[in-house]
Amino acid sequence: MIAMDDLRKQFTTGRGRKARSVVAVDGLTLHAQDGAITGLLGPNGAGKTTSLRMLVGLVTPDSGTIRVDGVDLRTDPQGVRARLGVLSDARGLYPRLTARENIVYHGRLHGVADDVAQARCEHLARLLEMQPLLDRRTDGFSQGERMKTALARALVHDPDNIVLDEPTNGLDVVATRALREALRVLRDETGKCIVFSTHIMQEVQRLCDRVVVVAHGRHVADGTVQSLCEQAGCTDFEDAFVKLAFDAEGHAQ
Amino acid sequence: MSHWQAMWTVFVKELKDALRDRRTLMAVFVSSIAMGPLMLVALSTLVGKFEKRAEAREIVAIGLDAAPTLRNYIERQTFTIKRAPADWEAQLKDSKLGDPVVIVPADFEDALAHGQAPRVQLVYSSANQRAQGGVAVIGRLLQGFDQEQASLRLVARGVAPGVMSVSRIDEHDIADTAARAAQMTGVVPIFVLMAVLYGSVNAAMDTTAGERERGSLEPLLATPASRGAIVVGKWGAAFALGLLIAVLSCMSFLPAQSLLRSESLSAMFRFGWAEAAWFITVLAPFAAALSALMMAVAIRCKTVKEAQANNVVLTMAVSLTPMIGLFNQEGESPWNLWVPPLAQSALMNRVLKNVPISPLDFAPGVVVCSAVTALALVFVTRQLTRRGAQ
Repeated sequence: MIAMDDLRKQFTTGRGRKARSVVAVDGLTLHAQDGAITGLLGPNGAGKTTSLRMLVGLVTPDSGTIRVDGVDLRTDPQGVRARLGVLSDARGLYPRLTARENIVYHGRLHGVADDVAQARCEHLARLLEMQPLLDRRTDGFSQGERMKTALARALVHDPDNIVLDEPTNGLDVVATRALREALRVLRDETGKCIVFSTHIMQEVQRLCDRVVVVAHGRHVADGTVQSLCEQAGCTDFEDAFVKLAFDAEGHAQ
Repeated sequence: MSHWQAMWTVFVKELKDALRDRRTLMAVFVSSIAMGPLMLVALSTLVGKFEKRAEAREIVAIGLDAAPTLRNYIERQTFTIKRAPADWEAQLKDSKLGDPVVIVPADFEDALAHGQAPRVQLVYSSANQRAQGGVAVIGRLLQGFDQEQASLRLVARGVAPGVMSVSRIDEHDIADTAARAAQMTGVVPIFVLMAVLYGSVNAAMDTTAGERERGSLEPLLATPASRGAIVVGKWGAAFALGLLIAVLSCMSFLPAQSLLRSESLSAMFRFGWAEAAWFITVLAPFAAALSALMMAVAIRCKTVKEAQANNVVLTMAVSLTPMIGLFNQEGESPWNLWVPPLAQSALMNRVLKNVPISPLDFAPGVVVCSAVTALALVFVTRQLTRRGAQ
């Protein structure tokens, strides 16, 4: 389970008179349950990526608390990272290593024994339909092949909590469907807690059990797709999102 | 996962990754391993030419036909007389003529017979390295003629020639063969120091700025491995590669000795297993400090290109600092041993000169390099903690 409460983060760029402050996250609260897919939905620049970076400990929040399975990020950041499988915005692979070596390397860094990491790698390759890729160097991989390798790398240590930052970016329809199916399997068969940031309505509608709408760094609404539509008084989810997110942005400005 | 396990995992991965970069590795191998021996062979060829010239006992002259006495003396000294070409002055300036030119005036013999001092010109160009080498030899030859003639005149007047000498000069060169050779081979340590740089620079940049540029740093930092363990693992790989190239570079001098063309240089330049072991011992702390420093410079950069530009200062420092020792006429100063890579260069030169190295000479370099390594690694770790993958 992931619990982020009242997170705030402000970035300062430049120095002296030219210094400018930007509020990236302004009191965001998100609770994601086990066995469910929670969508973090918001327009570009809403603070989704910053929030997920704070969750992993790559960005230190100015205030607020983050707990993963009850472990506090401030007191035990390594314990939190060990419980998370993260597919971040940056999905760089090592081009001179094979897909298998990329995946197993991360498994080893998560403390997984070599033989177990190899077995997990095979299992994930079957799940993500990427067996032919395993022993190829990742240099020259297509966007979809990179995506699958990065996802397998994030899941190699079989984490209880999975965080995916815009995972379908750059994927074609077939790859997107395969990813959706894989996430459903992870939720239904293994009861994982999955947090998934996106700005694509279709994905949220098809996949998420619960949606947290963020705008301008703030939590503006949450609930199921159905309840959000009701909350906004719209029948179409896209209309509901625009109303909830952009009305909130207008108020914030 | 323990720190040691994480360190080892990162170290093995980085080493494997770097060793698979065949093109870069080949360029490093060729530049670091072949350059030193090639330079040594080129140096020996140059020395060999000087030696051959000295053995040839040739004199290039104009107007010697009009000076039979001088000609007789020169021939008695087993020198071969060569007539200077018509454009000797231009050839001397362009370094096409490899000997100084002796100009004997037409009235030389007449002036000599009348007890006057005929003026002989010894013409050379100080910009012509080849001809410069023969100036002292020909100068001594002409002085010998002068002394012989003076002695004959004194004897003819019933004066013992010894009257002209109130003292005798006996020259003693106290430099041993190794020290003499070190004058010629003083550039060898600079090549080996550069080999360390070339060996570790790519790994140091690829594991820091390269990782940031390709977007693999963020996933790496999302693992529970501690920042310190990640940094030490990466540094270990850069250090190991620097040291590997240094070892190969030192070893390459062993077979290179057989290619030396100068007999005296090959007799003087003794670079055996013991010398190679000393070189590696001296270079190891430097390789550690240099790879850590390069990582510290590169960790703030967003791309490898930016890191390369920032590391230029470090590259220049490594290549230019040992020059202080090379051009210093006053000999080695105690502070030299506290400044890497001047310290390493000085110690390697001592090895080449066969001067014993005490632990007290070795310690300052090790202390400074260890401190630099530790500080640089702490800096890199803090940067990763503070800036994350940004």
